Amino acid sequence: MVNDSGPSSEKNEVKENVEIWEDVVNIKDLLISLIISSITTLGGYLIAPDTPPKPLIFGLIGAIIGFIISSVIIKPKRTFQMMDEEK
Amino acid sequence: MDAILIMEMIAAAIAGAVLYTVIGIAPGTDETAVLAPVTLVLVLAGFEPIVILTFFISAIVAKKLTDSIPVAIAGIPGGVMSAPMVEHAMVLKKHGVPDLSIRKMASGSVIGTIIAVPMSLVLASLIAPLADVITDYSNQIFFGGAVFLALMTKNRILALVSIVPFALLIQGLRHLYWGIGAVPEDTTVFTSFFLGITIGPVILKLFELLNKDIRKKLPRHNKKEIRVNKHKVEKGFPNPFKILDKKEIGTTSFASVMGVLTFFMSPVGMTIFLGETLSSRVKDPIKRAARAISSMDGLTNAAYISGTLVPLIALGVPLSPTAIGPGSALFNAPPVFTLENNLHHLLSMSDFIIATVIGSIIAIGFTFYITIKYSQQICAFVFKYIPHEAMLGLFFGLVLMLSFMDAGWINIGGVLLISLVAGILHRWGVNYGVQFMVLYAAPWLVSVLVG
Repeated sequence: MVNDSGPSSEKNEVKENVEIWEDVVNIKDLLISLIISSITTLGGYLIAPDTPPKPLIFGLIGAIIGFIISSVIIKPKRTFQMMDEEK
Repeated sequence: MDAILIMEMIAAAIAGAVLYTVIGIAPGTDETAVLAPVTLVLVLAGFEPIVILTFFISAIVAKKLTDSIPVAIAGIPGGVMSAPMVEHAMVLKKHGVPDLSIRKMASGSVIGTIIAVPMSLVLASLIAPLADVITDYSNQIFFGGAVFLALMTKNRILALVSIVPFALLIQGLRHLYWGIGAVPEDTTVFTSFFLGITIGPVILKLFELLNKDIRKKLPRHNKKEIRVNKHKVEKGFPNPFKILDKKEIGTTSFASVMGVLTFFMSPVGMTIFLGETLSSRVKDPIKRAARAISSMDGLTNAAYISGTLVPLIALGVPLSPTAIGPGSALFNAPPVFTLENNLHHLLSMSDFIIATVIGSIIAIGFTFYITIKYSQQICAFVFKYIPHEAMLGLFFGLVLMLSFMDAGWINIGGVLLISLVAGILHRWGVNYGVQFMVLYAAPWLVSVLVG
């Protein structure tokens, strides 16, 4: 995926996203998401009672919470269209 | 075997299928990280061994079916095993048919399962007499696997030369942790290193973002435009043999057989090697990608099931990457299971057959149906509402946590170091397969080098 179909028709939009792992992200949003997920996941692990496997379970719940928070506050950098099948 | 026990097994299979259908869809859920702890809890909670095995089989089948969804829609591996499929799934995504990838992959999974269950049982009884010899040479087998896979890559000399330094990096960190007391001397840090290799390419890219010059030179993009073709919902129960065409069924079956036979190899490495080999002659890019992902998914599923069942039935020691990773609690979970007293010793051949059949049938019935029927809805939802940033964040958070869990704060640095090296090697063409084999062979390799 080297180029995105030449000059885009979308007007007035500054090209500010970079591609990581086959999808485009905004560097600032990515940073926010990395920080949120790190805090919720590691935080969940650290505040859990120290009897296995509770830390792991708390950590996984933290990971899910972080994921949900990031999904709510960050908009996907995609435009999505459903098209009717041609034949 | 009484009716209550059978009911318990069915309940365990349903629980495994439902739970891991959800977990499988979540991107970046490493198989070892999500399967091993839950299995361990069940073992320690004192469930019947046969019920645990049923749960585990159902869980891996369901997980393998749904982890194709994040690959298809976002190019994020749903687990380590689906990493090799990313490239091909991306081709299909680019052509606007990500739901086609999902259906092809899920059907490949089903074929892999159908082939792997009976074959693993046969293979296990065949190699049981050789158990002692194989167990004695497991290190050599892993090392041989690394060399073999290195020879299969494009830059074979580079791959070969990288084996020893990479092994030194892994063992160097382990000895450091032992030396400074980060972990007890009988603990070998594994899971987090494994994950570190998996996210190597992403970590490398993140480090590059911190470099001003590289960051400025990176190509900038607008929003990504995605078009998905609407297709009509199939009536009735989806049939995997209709979703795949004849040639795809052929290569998928062949790949699955190979997956069973090479149960002791890194499934990721075999997946890359066979998937590429079997599809490289197909000209049309969409067809080639469909061929590759269906056979790769068949292979990973087959390798997973055989990697669990064959060592469990024939050897009683975890001598396959699957057994060492996700299935480790089935072999060793003191005080309930030890290497001298685990499922291998507690279950009979008919127990293994019943547990496997119940587990896999329930998982296929439930998960395959959901995956095929609702793949488009799932795709649409994820594309519209789930930002890529959140997925990367989730993966990153899990790696941090598992690094900390393995050996404390210092290991977060250690795993970043491994990721960085693994990411560079990966970019140079030393694929995951070679790196995983080195991870397994590292302790032996280093002891041989010292002499």
